Amino acid sequence: MASARNINRFWEWGRKIICVGRNYADHAKELKNAVPTEPVLFLKPPSAYVTEGSSIMVPFYSHNLHHEVELGVVIGKGGTAIPQNAAMDHIAGYALCLDMTARDVQDECKTKGLPWTLAKAFNTSCPVSEFITKEKIADPGNVKIWLKVNDQLRQEGNTSQMIFSIPFLISYISEIITLEEGDLILTGTPKGVSSVQEHDELQAGIEGIVSVKFRVHRP
Amino acid sequence: MASSRNLNRFWEWGRKIICVGRNYPDHAKELKNAVPTEPVLFLKPPSAYVTEGSSIVVPFYSHNLHHEVELGVVIGKGGTAIPQNAAMDHVAGYALCLDMTARDVQDECKTKGLPWTLAKAFNTSCPVSEFIPKEKIADPGNVKIWLKVNGQLRQEGNTSQMIFSIPFLISYISEIISLEEGDLILTGTPKGVSSVQEHDELQAGIEGVVSMKFRVDRPQ
Repeated sequence: MASARNINRFWEWGRKIICVGRNYADHAKELKNAVPTEPVLFLKPPSAYVTEGSSIMVPFYSHNLHHEVELGVVIGKGGTAIPQNAAMDHIAGYALCLDMTARDVQDECKTKGLPWTLAKAFNTSCPVSEFITKEKIADPGNVKIWLKVNDQLRQEGNTSQMIFSIPFLISYISEIITLEEGDLILTGTPKGVSSVQEHDELQAGIEGIVSVKFRVHRP
Repeated sequence: MASSRNLNRFWEWGRKIICVGRNYPDHAKELKNAVPTEPVLFLKPPSAYVTEGSSIVVPFYSHNLHHEVELGVVIGKGGTAIPQNAAMDHVAGYALCLDMTARDVQDECKTKGLPWTLAKAFNTSCPVSEFIPKEKIADPGNVKIWLKVNGQLRQEGNTSQMIFSIPFLISYISEIISLEEGDLILTGTPKGVSSVQEHDELQAGIEGVVSMKFRVDRPQ
């Protein structure tokens, strides 16, 4: 059997993507959302993954696709109700991710009390970089992430601004949803989210670590 | 390497569960929801699976756990934008499923415009029966599904009542979310949803095909 579980290609076999919303105060504010007392969790299915070389596709039902650059955490050892002080032992590494969001659809879902699925879980809604081994990022709570559209800087933030830390998130999530090797946790986005159009080129990175490039297409 | 991709144990390796809400008009009505013009889709992660022999565990943050009995469709051949008239070729078989729902949390999520994750995606929120090969259900659009709590019938419906048919759902979903072998689609629940408590015994079945039993526990 070809692929054993190679963490370098976690997107090929990983079974879930858990996303944390509103984890940067300035992003909550720009969308006029309350700053939460508990993490806001939503899911993307693994069919959402897209890697460099392939394009981000605007979902046919949306007219307002937004970028959201995020630090992703890749789980190396699963668990349930993982204590915060053990959380970092469960990490295999990281990835730079974009939580692509159909903002118009999300606004409608929020108004109507509907699930966020069509806003967040469509094909190519989770562009990811190569896998980054744990040792490459000494302190994931203090890295700079950035995103440009057509070379113009749109987002720039530091993970130190996260409301809920990575160990807290791993612990909190795993009390409700058991984590497994290969799972990806998207840890939220700083302010500066904006629309992207067909033919736009997105560049994003973790300063000093990795950068990615993706083009946007319409179906 | 031990488990190849054995469809008989699809829950061990399947990568996604896609659920359809409000697909029976009597259920939409009982929850005072509008009958939808398009399917309402939400996700459960594979960590939600629970099979007979293990218990359904009430999430610690909920005081109103509801049962929802559903016909599940197991995908045998993946695809994107699958045409309706080819949809049934992509089906490997079925499973009886319960879409366990923290109703109190769901009501709060709806009011606040939040995702339904804590209401629908917690551990043990997707009890499933054994895998039912396709040939065992000649017409999945006309089977009776039922659920009892402590021997008392609570839900009883026929899949003929579904607003959106299985071929429509496979086609609709696969335009937005590519389907893959081992995926499970929960196709909605008829009226009669109700609360379950610790120590309750749930029995559910597809008439003439399968039945299953689960106990409800509170977390340790």
